[in-house]
Amino acid sequence: MAYLTIFHRLILRPLWRESVRTVLTIAAVALGVAVVLAIELAGEAAAGSFRSSVETLAGSGDFEVTATGGVPAAALARLALLPYALKLRPRIEDYAVVAATNRVVPFVGVDMLGDAPAATAGNTGASEFLHGGFIWVGKDAGWKPGEHVRLIVNDESADYTVRGIVDGAGDAIVTDLAPAARLLHRGAMLDRILIDVPIVVPASRPLEQWESILRTALPDGVTLAPQGARTGENRRMLAAFRWNLRVLSYIALVVGAFLIYNTISVSVIRRREEIGIMRALGATRFGVLGAFLLEAGCLGLAGGLAGVALGRLMAIGSVRLVAATVESLYVSSTPAPIALTWGVVVAGIAIGVLVSMVSALAPAWEASQVMPVEAMARGRRDHHVRMHQGRGLAFGAALALAAWFASRQPPVGGKPLFGYLAALLMIGASTLAIPALISVLSRATATVAGRVFGVEALLASRSLAGSMRRTAVLVGALSTSIAMLSAVGIMVGSFRQTVLLWMEDRLQADLYLRPAGPAGADRHPTLAPDIAARLEALPEVAAVDQFRAYEISYQGMPATLGGGDARIAGRYGRRPFFSGARPADVFAQLIGHDRVIVSEAFANKHGVKRGDTLELPLGGRRVRFRVIDIYGDYSNERGYIVMDRGTLLQYLPDPAPSNVAVYLRAGASLEAGRRAVETALAGRRVMVFTNRSLREEAMRVFDRTFAITYALEAVAVFVAVMGVAGALLALVIDRRREFGLLRFLGGSTGQIRRIILFEAGLLGLLANIAGIVLGFWLSLLLIFVINRQSFGWTIQFHWPVAVLVSALSIVYAATVLAALYPSQVAARLVPIEVIHED
Amino acid sequence: MPLLRFNRVSKSYAGVPALVGVSFDVARGEFVALVGQSGCGKSTLLNVAGAMDFPTSGEVVLDGVVTSSLGEAALTRLRREKVGFIFQSFQLLPSLSAVENVELPLLLARRPRARETALDCLREVEMDAYAARMPYQLSGGQMQRVAIARALVHAPALLLADEPTGNLDSTTGDLVLQLLRRIADRRQTTILMATHNVEAVSVTDTVVRLRDGRVQGISETVKGL
Repeated sequence: MAYLTIFHRLILRPLWRESVRTVLTIAAVALGVAVVLAIELAGEAAAGSFRSSVETLAGSGDFEVTATGGVPAAALARLALLPYALKLRPRIEDYAVVAATNRVVPFVGVDMLGDAPAATAGNTGASEFLHGGFIWVGKDAGWKPGEHVRLIVNDESADYTVRGIVDGAGDAIVTDLAPAARLLHRGAMLDRILIDVPIVVPASRPLEQWESILRTALPDGVTLAPQGARTGENRRMLAAFRWNLRVLSYIALVVGAFLIYNTISVSVIRRREEIGIMRALGATRFGVLGAFLLEAGCLGLAGGLAGVALGRLMAIGSVRLVAATVESLYVSSTPAPIALTWGVVVAGIAIGVLVSMVSALAPAWEASQVMPVEAMARGRRDHHVRMHQGRGLAFGAALALAAWFASRQPPVGGKPLFGYLAALLMIGASTLAIPALISVLSRATATVAGRVFGVEALLASRSLAGSMRRTAVLVGALSTSIAMLSAVGIMVGSFRQTVLLWMEDRLQADLYLRPAGPAGADRHPTLAPDIAARLEALPEVAAVDQFRAYEISYQGMPATLGGGDARIAGRYGRRPFFSGARPADVFAQLIGHDRVIVSEAFANKHGVKRGDTLELPLGGRRVRFRVIDIYGDYSNERGYIVMDRGTLLQYLPDPAPSNVAVYLRAGASLEAGRRAVETALAGRRVMVFTNRSLREEAMRVFDRTFAITYALEAVAVFVAVMGVAGALLALVIDRRREFGLLRFLGGSTGQIRRIILFEAGLLGLLANIAGIVLGFWLSLLLIFVINRQSFGWTIQFHWPVAVLVSALSIVYAATVLAALYPSQVAARLVPIEVIHED
Repeated sequence: MPLLRFNRVSKSYAGVPALVGVSFDVARGEFVALVGQSGCGKSTLLNVAGAMDFPTSGEVVLDGVVTSSLGEAALTRLRREKVGFIFQSFQLLPSLSAVENVELPLLLARRPRARETALDCLREVEMDAYAARMPYQLSGGQMQRVAIARALVHAPALLLADEPTGNLDSTTGDLVLQLLRRIADRRQTTILMATHNVEAVSVTDTVVRLRDGRVQGISETVKGL
């Protein structure tokens, strides 16, 4: 009880007295926790979503049968003939676009008679299931029985009537197998067969045995796997993305940690004499250590609690951004509801408390070392810090060297763990070098600043150098967030430039066609097979390249298998392959052979090299393909395997293309060509892009994809700027006597205000310099180590000057603006009150 | 005309009187000691004299100007031109060297030739050899001499010293008092010094005794006491 009283009087009361600063510190922790939580919740919601509609609809089963290009319906018959009481549920799965909203929803065909997925509302008879114009919908789709809905499936649109609601189907649209097969041109192919094995004597027939029994009834090229394997694959594929996002979300927390360190350091420096008195009165070292850790813990607890509430709110916005990235690069998804569980709440609070207490360890330890008789002047303390600049630089150099060494290490379990370690070491190196930077720059600028901007600038610059420890921590926090902002900015800018150059080489056709509706990395709706012939007949058209894509699973990871016209690609292709070979030579080798080219992302993900052989299950067969070269591709992260269209049709004889590239004859105008194409395809739900509009669309998707990273960076910078405001407020409170003195010496309130604003300006300048230098090195790490190890993409370095200049200007302006309130507080101080406080 | 006139000056803080009807004049070049026990109103009198605070009633006239009639900008100008302050705890800025501390009032007032004038003042207080030193590298007496140089650098007509020897040992304190005496003689600067050091009054011309915020007596100092 006595300790609580002391804790209240000596720790809590000062926090209460400086409520604005306390609130700023708590807010910094809260934002850090909130961002981590928001990203976790949003990531879970976005990543969990792809299993929602289709998977839930599938129900729980033991096995699933899939195959590239579809499972022959005959396989279902063979499974049915097995002498076991198997429950077989065939599925046709695709996507439809709701014409009114342009929303993409799962479109699933099931055996409505034998395998109604769940209770269906409405009075439905068997004949209705076979009716092509009737659909059943999940509750989340938002339609009522009897409503009419226009849907676009592949390149055809039609009106459907909602006949009932299917429980547990999310936002999916359900219909019977027969109309689904007709509508989706599946012929005698199914997309999946779900199998439930009987649970008669489980011990005698474990799942492995069932697997071998079922395998005997299936053709060679189909895949039999435990149900949910696809979800597992998607989760594995998303792991690197979510991992990187998670790491980005920790930046705000790291910046928050800097600020907690700063707050507790200021407390310790300010109360050094008080601590000495407490020690003289009988307080133990442990007691002092505990008190300051508890102070940090209290700030962390308050920040954690606020962070959980804020994180839940931020997750609403984040989930949209994360889902957009997941959709563009990985897999179709509809965000699932955000689930704030007790576990997440406790984790959020624990993160706040732990990060705060760990950040406070060093200053709290320092406080515990104060001797009972000690009441040293701050100036002497800062002198001590200056004396150790050389040592700090040496340690900094050692950390930089360690960072270089870590950056040369390979990934661990597919994750660039050493890359992250290198980033942390770089931040450490930069933090240790900052006092020297401040010392050198403040010495160099003080005289000049004094001459150019007057005594206020001189005093500001001297004050920063004089309070080295506080300045170093602040510059460290702000520069770390600026560095991450610059690094991510450079990385995204470089990536953008690389993609632009890639499109310049890759997109040689004049017009591109695909079925209407939003695109998705794993959705490959098809165009009618006759489209190519119609286009080739046009006088404006020189060539038509049809590309067909299929989703496949390779080594437990989703990938895209594609087939294009190698002759045309060879004729128009410009971008050399990784081997240095010309496109014409490589594409010529594909024709008439079981040969493929693979994208860089695929090659890196699966460790595939030129000359390797891939075994792919195609159309009921397992076929071996030789990899003849690797090419750069940035369209999605799943990776491509591409063969000649003739080869693909040989194994998967569905001629419908997923998209079409049209090359116009020399001299034909783009407008005329486009008009001719649109006229030829009148009535088809086809989107026609010109070369330019396709690039613009691609860049729009690109920018949307990286919006979340910018949002995270913005929060980190906001936390740092808030920290600057809090720290400047502390500085005003600490130096109130100095400001009072300046008034005694003839300083005006305007001059006092300007001193604080100059200090903020100098802080911002120092942080920008340190941040850009650190950011440059971090960007190299992001581009050439972390990104490459996580996603397998080669990115060419590029300085996005305009983006960087505008972002850093905003940060700089925000830093100076953050000083407005502290400067106001300083100007309002009553000189005679503060000068006689001793 | 006196440089400084207190005309029935009263000052109270939240109803508690700190000064009650104080009236006396200080002539140009006069060195006045304000003596009395702690809490008798010495510091308050210095603050109202230097226009850092204002009477609740009555008026303070500094060089012909009623201080309470001035606005914020004029008050700042008045302090920059006419008043210098010396404090018990020196109040040097720790981040500035001795000479930078001294030139500070000139820089704040945007006066030219600040560095030369500051060095001249340091020479006057025999601290020119320590011009580049930081405050933490100086002794208490040295710091106070630098503070005196700073108070003089803009050649104020009135120097207000609040217990200037309070943090010094007696020998160093005596040296500081002798220095103030010399300044009053050489520069004809008016000095108003609050002190409870009985020996300090020996260097002054006049002693004003305060008790409970009231002037108890004013006497001329007998030199050599």
